[in-house]
Amino acid sequence: MTGFILRRLLWTIPVLLLVIFLTFVLMRQIEGNPFRQTSRAVPLAVQQNLERKFNLDEPWYIQYVLYVKGVFTFDLGPSLVTRDRTVNDIIKEHFPKSVQLGLLAFAWAIVFGIPMGVLAALRQNSAYDYGLMFLSNVGYAVPSFLVATLLIYYVSLKGGLLPTNGWEGSWKYKVLPSFALGLGPMAYFARLVRGSMLETLQQDYVRTAKAKGLRWPRVVVVHVLRNSLIPAVTAMAPLLGFIITGTFVIEVIFSIPGIGRYFVTAISSRDYSVVMGITVLTSVVIVFANLVVDILYGILDPRTRDARA
Amino acid sequence: MLSRNRWQQAVLLSLVAVLFVVGCGGGDDEGSGGGAGTAAAEQTLKWGLGSEFNLDPGLATDTTSAKLVLNLFDPLVKLADDLEAVPSMAESWDVTGAKVVYHLRSGSKWSNGDPVTAKDYEYAWKRAVSPELASDYSYQLYGIKGAVEYNECEKNCAKLRDAVGVKATDDQTLEVTLTSPQPWFIQQSAHSVFLPVHEATIEKFGDRWTRAQSIVTNGPFKVEGAQPSASITLIKNSEWRDAANVKLERVEGKIIVDGTTAVQSFEAGEVDVLDEQLPAAETPRLKDTPEYELYPGLGTSYYGFNVKDNITDVNQRRAMSLAVDRQSIIDNITQANEKPANAFTPDGMPGEEDIVGEGSPFTPAAGDLDMAKEYMAKAKNPKTKITIYSNEGAPNKEVAQALQSMWKQIGIDSTIKILEWQQFLEFLGPPPPKAVDIYRLGWVGDFVDDINFLELWTCDSGNNNTGFCDKEYDALVAKAKGTPETAARYAIYKQLEAKLTGPDGALPFIPLWYITYPNLERETIKETFKINLLDQVDLTKVEVKG
Repeated sequence: MTGFILRRLLWTIPVLLLVIFLTFVLMRQIEGNPFRQTSRAVPLAVQQNLERKFNLDEPWYIQYVLYVKGVFTFDLGPSLVTRDRTVNDIIKEHFPKSVQLGLLAFAWAIVFGIPMGVLAALRQNSAYDYGLMFLSNVGYAVPSFLVATLLIYYVSLKGGLLPTNGWEGSWKYKVLPSFALGLGPMAYFARLVRGSMLETLQQDYVRTAKAKGLRWPRVVVVHVLRNSLIPAVTAMAPLLGFIITGTFVIEVIFSIPGIGRYFVTAISSRDYSVVMGITVLTSVVIVFANLVVDILYGILDPRTRDARA
Repeated sequence: MLSRNRWQQAVLLSLVAVLFVVGCGGGDDEGSGGGAGTAAAEQTLKWGLGSEFNLDPGLATDTTSAKLVLNLFDPLVKLADDLEAVPSMAESWDVTGAKVVYHLRSGSKWSNGDPVTAKDYEYAWKRAVSPELASDYSYQLYGIKGAVEYNECEKNCAKLRDAVGVKATDDQTLEVTLTSPQPWFIQQSAHSVFLPVHEATIEKFGDRWTRAQSIVTNGPFKVEGAQPSASITLIKNSEWRDAANVKLERVEGKIIVDGTTAVQSFEAGEVDVLDEQLPAAETPRLKDTPEYELYPGLGTSYYGFNVKDNITDVNQRRAMSLAVDRQSIIDNITQANEKPANAFTPDGMPGEEDIVGEGSPFTPAAGDLDMAKEYMAKAKNPKTKITIYSNEGAPNKEVAQALQSMWKQIGIDSTIKILEWQQFLEFLGPPPPKAVDIYRLGWVGDFVDDINFLELWTCDSGNNNTGFCDKEYDALVAKAKGTPETAARYAIYKQLEAKLTGPDGALPFIPLWYITYPNLERETIKETFKINLLDQVDLTKVEVKG
């Protein structure tokens, strides 16, 4: 197992290099000027001062080497647009908020999604099943920005129950954004768990367990649930990876100072170093999330563990 | 079978229980969310800010930042409602030719207790033009002798720094030497890039000196705390020289980037003022509410022609301008009661009545289709298949579509191309690319002298994307710059405006409308919260009323 983890960790290095290279090239391909945000033309001297200050006057391969060097010494450079902060500052300040939002949304998804799936499967073709699956279809199909807007309108504006936007402070700020973000994954998990539960319930070993007189709850928890969760776990890790690295739409609508909002703003303002920095961060998170899944597989299903040893 | 049912019931029950707890929990919280402000005597302004901000006056380029820094630092002069310069930190000033001397008040202090002196302004201005800071707004100071040279410097910069024409001759006197007499300089020095900064703090903290815990300011308000990209709290600076006349005790600024959320936040009573980004889609509904307030801005929205390659015949340009029903675009699309533009010089610009006079004959508010057709007939080789370039974001596309249908009526078929903002800017030039026939842009004034607008159309201007180039025009701009007497200068501006939009003007662009700033303001502060033509707000005047 240790060898496996080590190997996977070493693999992140070429993956990162490739990600950096591609992002670097792509960002330079699109036209734009990080030093001009308004229609006002920037005088030549000012433009040159800025390019010199941020090493943009160097040839691209030097810039690339400088950047890679920075990444491996954990220095992601200054922001070209937000001039009083470095990319490290930006990540340090904004990433935790996205993580918090993502984890809360994920909690909604797990805490409600899995029981919903289990219930629907155990009562297949009943009113529970149809009701829950209808809800989950709706939850999956309706985009989060619409859910968010509706929630703000009815819960905050009409109901006056929760604040319309913001993040810091009371837990009240966290309910709506995390629910709006978690609804899609919740619906997704519910369907996934229902499907694999139904399949597992047909297995011979379940019939055997029942036949030998095991109590039903025990059959469900020990034999059915454990085996039905594997597809959910597979889906979970990358989803968790994406969800905690920031979600532009929810962060914009609820004015959450997360990294997702920053990322998109940085692309439209051509803040090269911020775009690069957040891309690197996202890749690292996703690579790790995948590693975690592989380890979890081994715990849930010993066969996969043996195969890889 | 029974046990199976019980198992299911347990799952269902727990689900309901969790939902219930999440839904109703903590109802006894004191409700930090909804509900309008409490006692009116409490002088707190809750302010919805539209974007991220930078509290470094040298680097503040967007309006949110400018609004904040102008209340955190003490400018030498402020602009009164009529845009005349009035004393602020400078008690008085003398102008003799190219020399300007500001006489500063004594006894004023920085928020850390240090005295505010003329040296702070000298330091700030030199810093703003330094190549190291690489400030976007450094060109605002190019009127000062030696500023351009220092800003462009690559080596031996210290010498050039000393040569910049700004000097504190003593603690209360700031002497400025300009490249030529510039009658607008006093007003221009109300701009945020001319604000003072505290040298020792910048030396100590470097780029991070603007953080809430390190920033040192000298204005009517000071920073109590800030959350990056989320919020900022200002409190009254009771040590400020005129603190007795400042009513507000506290300003809670909250960044709300999404326009729709901002409006909802206002309606839920979470903020008292929204002065940026009211979404166009909401305007018709908000317009009739008592909280809606509209301010004129110093800006002109226009469509520029590529006069060099494509729309070369002035009669076609006149025809296209005449075909535009500006009023209809304003009433149906932009909807913020903008004023139809009849010149480039915007409404409200000092001297505008003399400079613009009756306005251009080619810009009737409701358009003139018959006359447009006449001019179109006069045009030699008119280009009847054209491409309109605009950028993303409401209501640009809708405006382009309206123009498309208006130009259709004079026999011009147009295709609309919408680009992303950064690509759009790169694409436009100057020089204009051949593919462009006509493009959307606007100009918003930096300071209140028409030179700031008219200079845009000189041959070498980086903002002139039309290819219009008239040596006589450039000579007149140079002449105006050397004419300190107001009346004489305005007379030249009148000639310049005529060369652009007058009866014989080249009309390199179609003026569309003069911009406005729509706000939502709670009735408790509506009377005292005011936005001036340059989109600035003076918080010292704001008072929360019962």
